Amino acid sequence: MALAEVEKVQILTHASLKMELLSSLQEEGLIQLERANFEELDLSASSPEISQIDYRLHRLSHALGYLSMWEERGFVKKLFAQRPQLHRQKREEVLNFDYISVLEKIEEIEAEKSEVLSEIKFLEREEQFLFPLRNFKVPIKSLKPTDSTEILLGWIPLSQLVAFEKMTDIEPLWYEIINRGKRSVYLVLIYPKMEKTRFEHEFKELKFAPLFFTDPILNIADEKDGVEDVIQKIKAEIKKKKKKLETLEKKGQSLFINREKLMLIYDVLLNEREKISSSRLLGETERVSYLEGWARSSDIRRLKSKLRPFADFIEIYSRPPLPEEDPPVILENPRLARPFEVITKLYSLPQRRSLDPTVALAPFFFLFVGLCVSEAGYGLLVALLSFLYIKYAKPKGALLQFLKLLSLLGVSTVIFGTLLGGWFGFPIRRLMILDPLEDPLTFLLLSIVLGFIQVWFGTLLNMISRIKNKEYIQAIFVQGGWLVLLPSAVIYGITKQSLWGIFALFGAAGIVFFAFPSRNPFARFFGGLYSLYGISRYIADVLSYSRLLALGLATSVIAMVVNTLCQTALGIPWLGWLLAALIFIGGHLFNLGISFLGGFVHSMRLQFVEFFSKFFEPGGKPFKAFELESKYIEFI
Amino acid sequence: MELGLTVAILGGALAAILGGIGSAIGVGLAGQASSGVMSEDPEKFGSLLLLVALPGTQGIYGFLSAFLVILKLGLTTGTIVTPATDQGWQILIACLPVAFAGLVSGIQQGKVCASGVYMVAKQPKDLMKPVIMAALVETYAVLGLLITILLLNGIKLG
Repeated sequence: MALAEVEKVQILTHASLKMELLSSLQEEGLIQLERANFEELDLSASSPEISQIDYRLHRLSHALGYLSMWEERGFVKKLFAQRPQLHRQKREEVLNFDYISVLEKIEEIEAEKSEVLSEIKFLEREEQFLFPLRNFKVPIKSLKPTDSTEILLGWIPLSQLVAFEKMTDIEPLWYEIINRGKRSVYLVLIYPKMEKTRFEHEFKELKFAPLFFTDPILNIADEKDGVEDVIQKIKAEIKKKKKKLETLEKKGQSLFINREKLMLIYDVLLNEREKISSSRLLGETERVSYLEGWARSSDIRRLKSKLRPFADFIEIYSRPPLPEEDPPVILENPRLARPFEVITKLYSLPQRRSLDPTVALAPFFFLFVGLCVSEAGYGLLVALLSFLYIKYAKPKGALLQFLKLLSLLGVSTVIFGTLLGGWFGFPIRRLMILDPLEDPLTFLLLSIVLGFIQVWFGTLLNMISRIKNKEYIQAIFVQGGWLVLLPSAVIYGITKQSLWGIFALFGAAGIVFFAFPSRNPFARFFGGLYSLYGISRYIADVLSYSRLLALGLATSVIAMVVNTLCQTALGIPWLGWLLAALIFIGGHLFNLGISFLGGFVHSMRLQFVEFFSKFFEPGGKPFKAFELESKYIEFI
Repeated sequence: MELGLTVAILGGALAAILGGIGSAIGVGLAGQASSGVMSEDPEKFGSLLLLVALPGTQGIYGFLSAFLVILKLGLTTGTIVTPATDQGWQILIACLPVAFAGLVSGIQQGKVCASGVYMVAKQPKDLMKPVIMAALVETYAVLGLLITILLLNGIKLG
C-alpha cells in the first residue's frame, strides 16, 4: 500500500521533430507534461495557433448535434451502446475523408431549414392577421384611394362602436362592418380626401387601429382575390414549405451514415488540438526543443523503447524527484483493492511520501457496507446487476471501477446478510450466527469492537508514517502511547487486573511527557495533559460505529414491514395476490435503494471522519497523463 | 381502552409524525433548490435526486420505530398485548429520541442538502462531497433511532 514511484523525465530533441515526438508521447500516454522552467534555462516558448482547429471542432460538434436527431433511441439501447473504435496509429488516415464537404452540406441544410421555418412562421402570422377579415369579398388589390376619397381597413374596440356610429351619422363617411368579434369590430371606411387629417384625428380618438396588407400578401394575391382567397393561397404555400422541410429532413437523414466518420474525425482533431496546444509547455532554442514531465518509474523503460525510432535525434534523462519538487501522485494497489481507490480519490489523494490508505480501508469498508445493508437478497441483486453490466456494456475507467466496487459490496452483503439478516426479509435461522432484532446488544458490541479495531489501526498507521518520516519520538512515545493506552484501559475496565492498569499508565505517561515538545517543563506537562484529553475524541469515534447496528436493523425491519404488508394484502379476496406481488417488488426495491445508499454513505463517513483523521495526509496532485482523450469514440 | 395502550400508541404515532415532519420539510427545502437548478440545467435530475432524497431517511426511521411499537403491541395480529399504564409511558418515552432527533436533523439535513444542490450546480463532479456533509447531520437521527430501538427492546411486555 504505497504510492507508485514517480520520476522526472527530461527530453531534448531536434526542433523539427517536436510534433512527431509529442504525437508518439500522446499515443503512449505514459507521461504528464509540465512547463519547463524557461527563465532559468534561458529558453523561449512557442505560442501555438489553435483557433483554426477550434473552429473546425466547433463546426464538427454542431454537425454531430444535428445528426444525433436520427440516433437510435431507447434507454436499454443507450445503456449498452458501444462506441466506435479506432486504432491509435491510424489516426491520420481518418482525416483523408473529405469531411469538410459533409459539414458544408449539413450547414447548408440547416441554413435552408431555418430560413423555411421563419418563412412558415411569417405566413402563419399573416394568416392569423387575415382571419378576422375573411368575409371581406372585395379584391384586396382594388383597395386604393381615388382622387377624392381615402379607403382604410381597421378595427375599433367594441365599446367604441356606439360613439363611432354616432359620428358616422353626422360626418360624410361610408363604412361597412366586416366582422364583429368578441372585443373588437373590423370595418372598412371610405372618407373624403380633403378632410383627411381631421378624420384621422377623430379615428384616433375612437381608438381606431388601421390594418394594412403587407407586400408579401399583395404579391400572393391575384387581381380578383378577396381575403378568403388569399388565406387559401397562404395555406397552400405553408403546405408547400412544410413539404420542403420534409425533403430537407430526408436529405439530412441521408447524411447520417457519415456520423461515425465525423465522430472519429472529431476525436482525432480534438487530440490534435491538445497536442498543438501542449507544445507551449516545451522550451525552445533555434534548433532544440526541451520537454519536461513526470512518469511512473516502472514505465520509464517502456517510454525509452517506444522513443527508439527517434534515437539519433533525441536525448532522454530521468531522475527521482528533488525534495522541493511536488510530483503527481499515482495510487498503486493489488487488483482486489483497486476498486476501493474510488473511496480514497473521493476524499483526496494522499500527499507525496505519505501512506496510501486504500488497502487499509478496503476490508473495513467491505465489512461495514455488508453489516449496514445485511440483506442477502439485495446483495445478490446488486452484485448480479453490476456484474452483468460490466460483462455486456463493457464500461471503462471510473465507472468500471465503481461497478466492480458495487459487485464486491454485493458479495459482502450476501455474506453478512445470510449471517445476520435474511433473504428479502426472511431469515434463514440455520445459517444465522446472531439475530440483531432479538439480541441487539451483541450486535452493538460487535460494531463497537470493529470501530475500536479500525481506530486503533489508524493510530498504528500514524505511527508507521511518522517512523518513515523519522519522527521517532512522536512515533514511539505519543502514537505508541495511544496504542498501548487504548486497549489496556479497555481490558483493565473489564478485568480490573492491575497489570493492565499499569500498562495504561505507561501509555498515558508517554503521551503526557512527549505530546507537547516545549522547553518549558510546565508547558510541556500541561500541554501533554491536554493531549491526553484527546481520549474523549477516541471514545466518540468508537461510539460512532454504533450506526452499523442502527442501519443494519433499519434494513431488516423495513424488509419485515414489507413482508407483513404483503401478508395483509394476501388477505384481500380476488386481487390480493397481485397487490401482494406489487408491494413485495416495489417495497423491496425501495428498501434496496435506501439501504445501499445509507450503507455506502455512512461507511464512507466512517472512513473519512473516524479513520482518515488518525493518519491520512490529503492534498496530493493527481497524475494526469498526456494521452489520447475521446469524447465519442474509443482508441484501441 | 386501557390508558397504557393509548399512551403507547401515542408514542409510536409521535415517532412517525415528528420524523415525517422533519423529512417533509427537509426534502421540501432540497427539492425547491434542485428545481431551481434544474430550470437552468435539466440534465442534472439524476444527481440532484440523490441529494433531495437524503433528508427522507428521518421519516423512514420514525415510521420504522412506529412499526416496532405496532409489532410490540400486537396490533397487526389481532391479539393485542395491553401494557400497564407505566409501561405505556415507557414506550412513549422510548419513542422520543427518534422523534425529536428526526424532526430537527431532518430539517437541518434539508438545509445542508439544499446548499449541496447549489454546489453541484457549479461543480457537478463533486456530488459525493455534499452527500457526505449531509450524512454528518444524519448521524444524530441514526443515533436517535438506535436508542429508540434499544429502549423498545428493553421494555418487556408480559
